Amino acid sequence: MRHVLPAEWLKLHSVRSSRLAILLALGGVLLGFGIAQMAVGMYDSASPAQQARARIAELEEVVLIVPQLSLGILGVLAMTSEYATGLIRTSLTVVPRRWPVLTAKAAVVGVIGLVTGPVVVFGTHLVCRWVIGDRFSGLYQAPFSGKLPLLVALSLTVPVFALLGLGLGTILRSTAGGITLLVGLVYVIPMIVGNLPGPWNEWLGSVMISALARQISGDLTTPGLYGTSLPPPMAAVLLACYAVLPVLAGLWLLQRRDA
Amino acid sequence: MCPKPLVVKSTTMRLILGLDAPTSGEVLVNGKRYTTFLTPMREVGALLDAGAVHGGRSARDHLLCLARTNGIGPRRVTELLERVGLDGVARKHVGGFSLGMKQRLGIAAALLGDPGVLIFDEPVNGLDPDGVRWIRDLVRSLATQGRTILLSSHLMSEMALTADRIVIVSRGKLIAEATVEELTARHPSLEDAYLALTASSAGHRAGRP
Repeated sequence: MRHVLPAEWLKLHSVRSSRLAILLALGGVLLGFGIAQMAVGMYDSASPAQQARARIAELEEVVLIVPQLSLGILGVLAMTSEYATGLIRTSLTVVPRRWPVLTAKAAVVGVIGLVTGPVVVFGTHLVCRWVIGDRFSGLYQAPFSGKLPLLVALSLTVPVFALLGLGLGTILRSTAGGITLLVGLVYVIPMIVGNLPGPWNEWLGSVMISALARQISGDLTTPGLYGTSLPPPMAAVLLACYAVLPVLAGLWLLQRRDA
Repeated sequence: MCPKPLVVKSTTMRLILGLDAPTSGEVLVNGKRYTTFLTPMREVGALLDAGAVHGGRSARDHLLCLARTNGIGPRRVTELLERVGLDGVARKHVGGFSLGMKQRLGIAAALLGDPGVLIFDEPVNGLDPDGVRWIRDLVRSLATQGRTILLSSHLMSEMALTADRIVIVSRGKLIAEATVEELTARHPSLEDAYLALTASSAGHRAGRP
């Protein structure tokens, strides 16, 4: 494991697609800046009465899709690119115990997510404070300490996506399959769930991955798209499950399948 | 190892390397199961498929990734890139390599840990005469150093030039295991020996193409 970790680190950063995925993830801050600029433009041209009623969604949550998806795809590719090229057989020949390969990959993509997530979330938050100022009823002038739990919880979803992608990639061994399932699980199923009759939409909506950050932080000031019926500790456990269970399933399969 | 059909030899090699699990029995390398080796590259070097590389990675990075897993340093990587004649293109993406260059890269990877046992699956397939000659000379020189080399091929004339001992496998069964001299003593050439021996193994010609 001591040796496999630096090997997997080099494996990831020696390929251009990984560097692109990380760069794209960081681009989430730019998207936040763009949306904030647009919102400010609209706000400033509105009448005082409209301005008093104007609300804006938390942009840290809006732009989160960018780092979530790009690092989710990075996670998928970390495994499936080896299956696509056949390199996996060499990788498992030089590490025949196998589990260190996936564990090291999980550590590498997990840490990249753990760094990228906060950079995008807190970066977007600072950009919004600067661009939006006291507009929109001072949403971005609230004390930082009050926003901290939500920002931390949002940041943590990024490494969860990276690990979820890695787990799905290991289980499916196919890039297209892994990415499709990732997007389906995260963006298609919630849409279906949201349109279910009550109370199903509320119950199932609460366990969707994108519903968890708000429930963990308990910050429910802005109405969300998802359900809010989980207490914070349960939401935190569920978020961890989204990251850990697919990787464990992948580990189990990797040890047993012929390569 | 001269097998017929194809699947037998690749499966055998994958079983040795612990990539596939046997339904029964076990394979031991130097008295141990391959999967128990902590630094397998120092025991066995293998080249199964030279094309199994990530095209977007440089030759040097590819070897470094493999070397690191077994605690092998970058100096050894530089050494092997020179040895197989890829030092000039070490920083180039492997995707642009010819089959011959990929074959050399795969052999460099197999030699990283300086192992006593080497396994090459069809190393000369698709190579130009220069490449074939280079592999043959390399394999001979590695054998002279006292290494055990397990090499599979369908090219009988090539095997006659390269191998000391021949194992012929057909339809999943061992047909013959002998030195090249023993096999060619009773037949005009190794190719004739191969055809005669495999023909007598229960009419396999009527089977799959």
